[in-house]
Amino acid sequence: MNSQLIDQLRLRLGINGLPYEIPMHPKLVHLTLGLFILAILFDIAGAIFPIERPIFKFLGVSAIRSGFFDVGWYNLIGASVITFFTVAFGFFELILANPPTDQISAWGLNASMTMVLHGLGGILLLGAIVAMTVWRGLQRYHWRKNESRQVQWGYLLVGVAMFGILFVHGTLGGQLGSEFGIHVTAAKLIQQGANPSLLPK
Amino acid sequence: MVLFSFVCDVLGYFTHNTRLFEVGFWNIFVAAIAIFVAIIFGQFEAGLAQVYPAVQPTLNFHTVMGWSLGAIVAIVTAWRFVIRNRHPHKVPPAYLGTATFLVCLVLLQVYLGSKLFWVYGLHVEPVVEAMKQRISP
Repeated sequence: MNSQLIDQLRLRLGINGLPYEIPMHPKLVHLTLGLFILAILFDIAGAIFPIERPIFKFLGVSAIRSGFFDVGWYNLIGASVITFFTVAFGFFELILANPPTDQISAWGLNASMTMVLHGLGGILLLGAIVAMTVWRGLQRYHWRKNESRQVQWGYLLVGVAMFGILFVHGTLGGQLGSEFGIHVTAAKLIQQGANPSLLPK
Repeated sequence: MVLFSFVCDVLGYFTHNTRLFEVGFWNIFVAAIAIFVAIIFGQFEAGLAQVYPAVQPTLNFHTVMGWSLGAIVAIVTAWRFVIRNRHPHKVPPAYLGTATFLVCLVLLQVYLGSKLFWVYGLHVEPVVEAMKQRISP
């Protein structure tokens, strides 16, 4: 963003361009990913429960089918809630980003294109995760309330497809940090010609 | 996963929604497996990193904490497993206290690991490039 506009925010920005040492969005996104991925995996485990029952018996871990669906449901709710914060911090940090303009990522995109795609993708993914939570809730409390398999196969299929989208989206975000060095203190120091080995320990 | 397991166990304890205990158990169960995958990748990437003197103390601390957490999470998960086998609908306050401590350790470890990337720029391309030029001019 325009540096004069950023100045108007009156934030005390560090060398990394943020008012704090470590960016929050990359931390929160791991919660989004962990919760969402476990939600889908446990629903899959619940759906194919008759196949895996002997495995759990062999391992001596008592497993109840409805328990797996509980994990699927509550983890998905957790993912929905936390993702609002993930996206909010993502936009805050995106606005304060000051990427190099002369570099191309491994995917052949420049920093601004990567930022736009990652920002728009973030909103769409938030919408998708919330929509899946509503869908999952309807299955749990209405449509399949009395079924032994709480989730539809279509829901699981969409969930697995989401893994692929999240992977692409996450790689774009990872490139912003690891290739363009956005909000990385040492990278900013090098841009200014300073030596990062002088950083405090 | 440790964090969410803790949240579920605490919510379950106070709301008496015993389903949440099952969610808490499975989350820490997966965490106990996943942490060893994380340690292996961490060791691999730490070995490949361009470590300069300012980074060393943080990296060492992160490594020691990582292995310790591997052991601690395994022990706490084993305890959680015994609790679940004996009383599936109860979680004792002593466990919640230990889990609180564990959550603090996890947050510290996340902070250390973040510092390696976001402050010191390990495996960040512009930093790696600059290092290479300095070593082989």
